[in-house]
Amino acid sequence: MSASAGISMRDALYEQPGPKMRRRIRIGTAIALVLVAIFVLGIIRQFYVTGQLDAKYWAFFLQPTTWTYLANGFWGTVKVSVVAGAISLALGLVFMLGRTSSFAWLRGLSRAFIDFFRGVPSLLLIYFFFLVIPQYGIKMSSFWMITLPVALSASGVLAEVFRAGVNAVPKGQTEAAISIGLSKMQTMFKIVLPQAIRFVIPTLISQLVIVVKDTTLAYVVSYPDMLQNARVLITNYDALVSTYFVVAIIYILLNYLINQASIAVSRRTGVKILRPA
Amino acid sequence: MSEPIIEEHVPMVEYRHVHKHYGSLHVLNDINLTVEPGEVIVVIGPSGSGKSTLIRTANRLETIDAGEILIEGLPLPEEGKQLARVRAEVGMVFQSFNLFAHKTVLDNVIMGPVSVLGVNKKEAEEEAAALLRRVGVEEQAHKVPAQLSGGQQQRVAIARSLAMHPKVMLFDEPTSALDPEMINEVLDVMVELARGGMTMVVVTHEMNFAKRVSNRVLFMADGQIIEEGTPEQFFDNPQTDRARDFLESIKTH
Repeated sequence: MSASAGISMRDALYEQPGPKMRRRIRIGTAIALVLVAIFVLGIIRQFYVTGQLDAKYWAFFLQPTTWTYLANGFWGTVKVSVVAGAISLALGLVFMLGRTSSFAWLRGLSRAFIDFFRGVPSLLLIYFFFLVIPQYGIKMSSFWMITLPVALSASGVLAEVFRAGVNAVPKGQTEAAISIGLSKMQTMFKIVLPQAIRFVIPTLISQLVIVVKDTTLAYVVSYPDMLQNARVLITNYDALVSTYFVVAIIYILLNYLINQASIAVSRRTGVKILRPA
Repeated sequence: MSEPIIEEHVPMVEYRHVHKHYGSLHVLNDINLTVEPGEVIVVIGPSGSGKSTLIRTANRLETIDAGEILIEGLPLPEEGKQLARVRAEVGMVFQSFNLFAHKTVLDNVIMGPVSVLGVNKKEAEEEAAALLRRVGVEEQAHKVPAQLSGGQQQRVAIARSLAMHPKVMLFDEPTSALDPEMINEVLDVMVELARGGMTMVVVTHEMNFAKRVSNRVLFMADGQIIEEGTPEQFFDNPQTDRARDFLESIKTH
């Protein structure tokens, strides 16, 4: 598993470039940088020409209330993400155990759940929790109306991530376990699952990014997540581009952090990032 | 019990007309075999002859299609707790060691006693330490398997089996995955076990091991036991052409 430490995927896939190639790479890089710079300057110029850089669109970011409001929204995003992430992990594990069970009916049922939640767009699930469930007299706060569908939709993917991990544990581990008399359950929980989870921790963390992005659908149920609060700012200050710009950067930073965390864990455990099948 | 108990003679392992197919391949073809308590049996034969399958059926890592396998006179259970209980009494050592990769050496050895036999952890650790000393890897007790050499890993695997106090031990090519200089350290442990009276069925091509400690050698080809005899008979005077050819082919390298 860790035998390939020090050899990156890039080394394995590509030949080391020679002197000519290195020169070409340098030239290509320089040209690309110039093009990107022109593009960015063009955008800034366009902003300037259309008046998007006017102080009235940016001044309200100097007020503390703007930031407390955004921070409240950010906290809402974090709450939904963390709770939905935790639920989806637990459900994903349950679905995976069902899917690998020795009972055919349980396998079929779990498979149906996994495929359903993987296949249905999160937005549809949210509509279901928002529009259909209340009709049956079940009252739910807007927090749960966004958190549950996001969790369900991630759980299908996570079940497949866990299954990829379980499949990556060599068969000999199971054989050795049952040979000393461990039961099926003991073999799964003491031998296979701990190794499988180690394999997929980086992948699980990077799946969190998808959960975070799904939480932006909170506007459907009027839950005050960061994007929802940003919308309120937009209406208040009539500042669409600048607000979305700032919020986008915050989302990018958040997801960048999550990705870095997954890479760090992957380095520490020497485990490759597996992609679900 | 004042009356003397007259023990009925019961073989440790008995195969009766055992058959197994992989698709159209008849991998076990009418196997009849009796392993007596204390016996050491070596199974040899060309690759694909069914040797590994033969011993893997004894603790049901492989199922059989027809016939019967008895462990101490009782049919091998097909599933559940009863099967797990029999497996706990039948030790198995694999070609690729199969130590639990996420556990230390010590935790590998106490896994069975603690989780299956319900021994308390401290006691299990003391016994495990003694077993690790016996196979000569006591210094590695707190390392994980990946930090050990192949020979060390296989000795730990033997200790892990022994911790369950097995009645019989099955070895599936225990030295085939080892570098040459590590083969003897594993064979020495196995010789010591054999001399200590352990019932063993060993799939191996190590002729010296067979000659030193085995009571019987079985030669398998095409899913059948073609020839069997004492190691002297078999190695010095094989009866069948198949066995002669095979012995010739492994001598040349």
